[in-house]
Amino acid sequence: MNRPARYVIKLGATALLVGAVAVGCAGHDRGAANGHTSSSPAATAAQTDAAEALPPAPVTTVAEATPAPADSPAPGDSTASTGPANAPGATADPLDTNLSDLDQLLNGVNSALSGSDASASGGE
Amino acid sequence: MKNRVPALFASLVIGGSLLLVSTGVVAAVTAPSGPSGKGVCATEAAAVKAGASVSTLRAMADCEVNRRFATLNQLGSRVSGSKVLTSSDAAALTSEIGSTTSGLTSLKATIDAETSIPALRAEIVRIASDYRVYLLVGPQVNLVSAADGVVTSQTRFSKVNTNLTSRIAAAKAAGKDVTAAQADLDKMNAAVTAAVGLATPLPAALLPLTPAQYNGGTAGPVLANARTALGQARDQIKAAVADAKACRDALK
Repeated sequence: MNRPARYVIKLGATALLVGAVAVGCAGHDRGAANGHTSSSPAATAAQTDAAEALPPAPVTTVAEATPAPADSPAPGDSTASTGPANAPGATADPLDTNLSDLDQLLNGVNSALSGSDASASGGE
Repeated sequence: MKNRVPALFASLVIGGSLLLVSTGVVAAVTAPSGPSGKGVCATEAAAVKAGASVSTLRAMADCEVNRRFATLNQLGSRVSGSKVLTSSDAAALTSEIGSTTSGLTSLKATIDAETSIPALRAEIVRIASDYRVYLLVGPQVNLVSAADGVVTSQTRFSKVNTNLTSRIAAAKAAGKDVTAAQADLDKMNAAVTAAVGLATPLPAALLPLTPAQYNGGTAGPVLANARTALGQARDQIKAAVADAKACRDALK
């Protein structure tokens, strides 16, 4: 394979990797904010498209972009279900799923606690 | 190379789209600022200050009632959408929000029909003192939600405990030193027990509080103590999560 072709493949792989990680992070934030437990259908669809649209070559990228099975545990774990296998913190380990859920729950408790202060600032 | 250019283009478009999707998701969860804040009725208050009349007083009263309606709606949505509130706590909070809303609706009707300035002034005071939306109802919803959230975490930690116990047993069987991992797991369980112990009694103490008790000075300390206890419980949960992660990492 000539150099420009390799360069193009690397660029494509990088773009996809950045997108997938960003979706994973966003899913985590969303879960922390409102306790939703499923990954975004839009993101999943986008990933499906990504996997289909990519040329066969790029090494690990296609495998990394493959969407998680529809019935995979999701809570706040869009990181786990959509992120690349070698991205930081991305894994389908049930323990990590539970710990991620707990992180989200902790965020919820924090929000409620700060809300209990904010309510008092309504002026009465 | 020709074949790769479309691939590059597709990849960049897809990557960019995913970024946009993720940005949209983040933006979608940003809480909008509703018409419930402290400064919402500043204009009406200034008009009363400039010259109190039936119309200026009534306008201010309506504004104050309406912003409480906005707050009560937000609280109601939070209760109905909560995944951690127990059904009985959610029902109690929903009932309280409902009775507060109907009480304020009735008071608003009285105010709208009032023609005496002194009577209007007294009724405006009642908007706050009879219902305590911001000083009592809001904190009740938030503190009970936080307490139930802490109690809910116990189920999750139980799964974590089962998983880590099994990993420790496997590591031990493989001849590894599991002393540190076991210590972390013990710390996690102790922290969870402490957190749940702090949070469990709170809903029963918080839910019966009334505006009259707030005005009498007895509800404020209950709210303050609950806030303190929940802060401690939150810290325990945070420590327990860290202990679980340390245990997991010690077994790697």
